[in-house]
Amino acid sequence: MYDFSLLSDENVRALIIALVLFLFAFISFVVVALYALIKTTAYSKKHKEKLKLICDVAYFHERGKRENQEDSLYISPMDKLDESGLVAACSDGMGGLLNGEVVSKFVTDSLSENYPYRFDAQQENSRIITGISDKIYEQYHLSAGATLVMVHIFDDYMNFYSLGDSNIILIRNNRATLLNHKQNYITLMIKKLADGGLDTTDAYRDTRAKGLIDFVGNINCNVQKTSRPIRLIENDIIIVSSDGVTDSMPLSRIVSHIHFDQNATGIARTIKYGVKARKNPRQDNYSAVIIKMKRSYV
Amino acid sequence: MIEYYTFKHRGGAEEYRDEIFLRLTPTLTVAIFSGSKLESAPKSQSLLFSEILSSEEGSKSMNELHSVFEECLDHEAEYLILRVAGTGVECVRRGDVSAKIVCNGQISLLPNGFFGLSREDWIICATSNFYKPLSDEGILADALVSSSCSDWMNMLVRRISDQNQLKCGNLSAVTLKLDV
Repeated sequence: MYDFSLLSDENVRALIIALVLFLFAFISFVVVALYALIKTTAYSKKHKEKLKLICDVAYFHERGKRENQEDSLYISPMDKLDESGLVAACSDGMGGLLNGEVVSKFVTDSLSENYPYRFDAQQENSRIITGISDKIYEQYHLSAGATLVMVHIFDDYMNFYSLGDSNIILIRNNRATLLNHKQNYITLMIKKLADGGLDTTDAYRDTRAKGLIDFVGNINCNVQKTSRPIRLIENDIIIVSSDGVTDSMPLSRIVSHIHFDQNATGIARTIKYGVKARKNPRQDNYSAVIIKMKRSYV
Repeated sequence: MIEYYTFKHRGGAEEYRDEIFLRLTPTLTVAIFSGSKLESAPKSQSLLFSEILSSEEGSKSMNELHSVFEECLDHEAEYLILRVAGTGVECVRRGDVSAKIVCNGQISLLPNGFFGLSREDWIICATSNFYKPLSDEGILADALVSSSCSDWMNMLVRRISDQNQLKCGNLSAVTLKLDV
């Protein structure tokens, strides 16, 4: 116990005043903090649709069992997000052809040189990609090539561009969808069989049908692109990846591994270790850019 | 300008029990009849549907037409009728045959009644069997990538084929692009 009788009356008075002032300041702080919290919650609920979506971005870039890393990634400068949006791309050097790592690196370096891209100029952007492809063709004459997937996100909208068989995956409401189509002979075979009223089992039996009909390095390639953008919503997850990811981890498996409160870094880590855990003896290079759409209060 | 593309496939079933009807005059009308839930005589029901449609179309409102079908067709018969009207479309449906609209980068189900259209809207009408292996995001992405209705349909068929090699029962769909 303290013996306050030893203190002079003036000191006791000063202590009491200090205590009262402290209590007053503390209560004021609590009241102001609660008021701010209630107001912010109410505002964000009321204006939820008007608040901007922002991109939370992460990536992984792994070699697998191959000797060289033939995947290459590009992520546009994050400080230019407001003016030019986010561009993320993945290029995968084609197996069986020469200089895969050189070509895929050339593709992403060229994309970087051409940044910024106009969001609503899909045709123009597609011509830039065709130009890159033509340059590779002039140098290698089909002895080297790469695939390319690229997304361009601006506010709540996304355009995508694709050549070859890499992946642009959208995860929404616990369901993963491959947005782009693989440009291989299977597509042509399916059309023929379906038009003839047949089932399409034969199209998948022939392993040669997986051969690409278009890729970066082909002359006058046909870039698959959105002519109008897709509207994105909060918590959408976009994965731009090489096929090394989906070969070991099908879309349904990716979804079952992800927790929807994870940020982009957490999702990237989950997918990377998911692929690694498969211990595939012929694991291809596996790389991906993960983008999670979040609502911003700034 | 009106652009459309139809797809009909037996899908490994013994017979094709659906039917697609298209009328261009006086206004464009798309109708899909699905007899997959009918226990017997799907062909006769489909024929009846076709006859009512050709005799009454143009002279009756969509609601009146709907009432006639309700009276005459088997309760298990499913259908969708979509009629272009001015700057929009009118839609009535029964069962799981439905239409979806791609508009402003989003996809949504067309409700029964009138729906206003803008220039870049694309529509797909299909049976539930066609939609089953597809996700809305896949249908949307393909519409936004396609340069024509046939392109869009081919991409959707590829998606269905990737899931079941087109061995999933009757498949019936129409893709539409209307410049209103």
